Amino acid sequence: MYRSDFCMAGVFRDVFLFRDYLRMKALFLLVALLAFFLYLMRVFRVISTYPPSFFGAPSVANLVGGVLFGVGMVLGGGCMLGTLYRLGTGNTASAITFCGILLGGFASAVIYPSIHSFASSTVLFKDKTALEHIIGNAAAPVLALSLLPIALAWRWIKTGRWSQAAYARGYLPLWKASFMMAFVIAASVALSGRPLAVSTGYAKLSGFLGVLFLPAVTGKLAFFRVQSPRLLYGSIMNGGAGPVIDSVFLTQLPLMAGVVGGSFLSSLRLGEFKIRRLPPARQAFSAFFGGMLMAAGALMAAGCNLWHIIGGLPVFALQSILFVFGAAGGAFLGAVFLRKIVIK
Amino acid sequence: MEHTAEDIVLDVRGQICPACLLITLSELNSNKERLKGEKARLVVKTDHRDATRTIPGAAFAMGYSVSVVQKERHYEITLEHEK
Repeated sequence: MYRSDFCMAGVFRDVFLFRDYLRMKALFLLVALLAFFLYLMRVFRVISTYPPSFFGAPSVANLVGGVLFGVGMVLGGGCMLGTLYRLGTGNTASAITFCGILLGGFASAVIYPSIHSFASSTVLFKDKTALEHIIGNAAAPVLALSLLPIALAWRWIKTGRWSQAAYARGYLPLWKASFMMAFVIAASVALSGRPLAVSTGYAKLSGFLGVLFLPAVTGKLAFFRVQSPRLLYGSIMNGGAGPVIDSVFLTQLPLMAGVVGGSFLSSLRLGEFKIRRLPPARQAFSAFFGGMLMAAGALMAAGCNLWHIIGGLPVFALQSILFVFGAAGGAFLGAVFLRKIVIK
Repeated sequence: MEHTAEDIVLDVRGQICPACLLITLSELNSNKERLKGEKARLVVKTDHRDATRTIPGAAFAMGYSVSVVQKERHYEITLEHEK
């Protein structure tokens, strides 16, 4: 991600701000490849539950949460994952966004009962979680939405329509990053049985900080007591945002640390690691506020962009489809705010 | 050939993404006459890797020639009117 700057906030923002579709094409390729790989895993019974049980019934909260997340990731200068890989390179603006996410996670925990009630009362289909439950066919969306983009992408690569001059040392073309990430993520799903996620990991960090600085308040928050069973490596383990050691602690926190550590080593090797100077005040506020919005959006939408776009979209989870529409709308709003208010 | 045009230095290090490109575009527009008249060239200092892709791409499309050099912990992108 660091070498290609595979920034998911940039995917949407660049389309609205600059009519630049290069990252969007790379994300399409990644989702298409994952849809194809996961479908094959289903056919060959590598994945036991399909459509995955961890994507619940879709609700308006997925859409609204997506909008908040979309605005937040553009104002924050990166999504929850992008913030981590930039943090590892010494990016001070991303460190501010990171703090915003942590504070936003704690603030969202305070209003969790209202968010939960909104999500429960706006469920759209109680017994339908994936597109195949509506159209009655699992293969059709996979064929339509994965094979065609893969064939197009291959043609673009062969005809050189996917190349753009890049001068950064060790630059990895976006389409190559899409292939590499698709293989790694598919292998991770095959091994663990779950898509990658980081939003509950962030919330857990908020919980740990809450215990440290506001133990009495944190102890009373219902959000930090919720534990849900999660299928992981073929067995069921409990996990949640609470400040305890559970499946989230054992999976999401190592992933977060790995992304920060990986980009740190990569930037060090390329001679680019540096603790950057502080951004201008307006941008610093935007980064912090964007982080807070992302945390609130992820809680409302039951997951961040990593969970929904890389995890849910390839299996056509209805929650994720709603999230993507919301995030795209939010990114448009974020781009407008960025242009008119933040960067002047 | 010796370079005689004035350097307009734009330091956007530490700024959030995509401020580097937006500020550069704004600077290119406000100094358009001097740049097109080859009286000046724009030197952008950035520590954003992605800016080494987006700024040259946009500048090429606007008819500028681009050179990028990696300095210590940052990149220097020089934009001048294509001769």
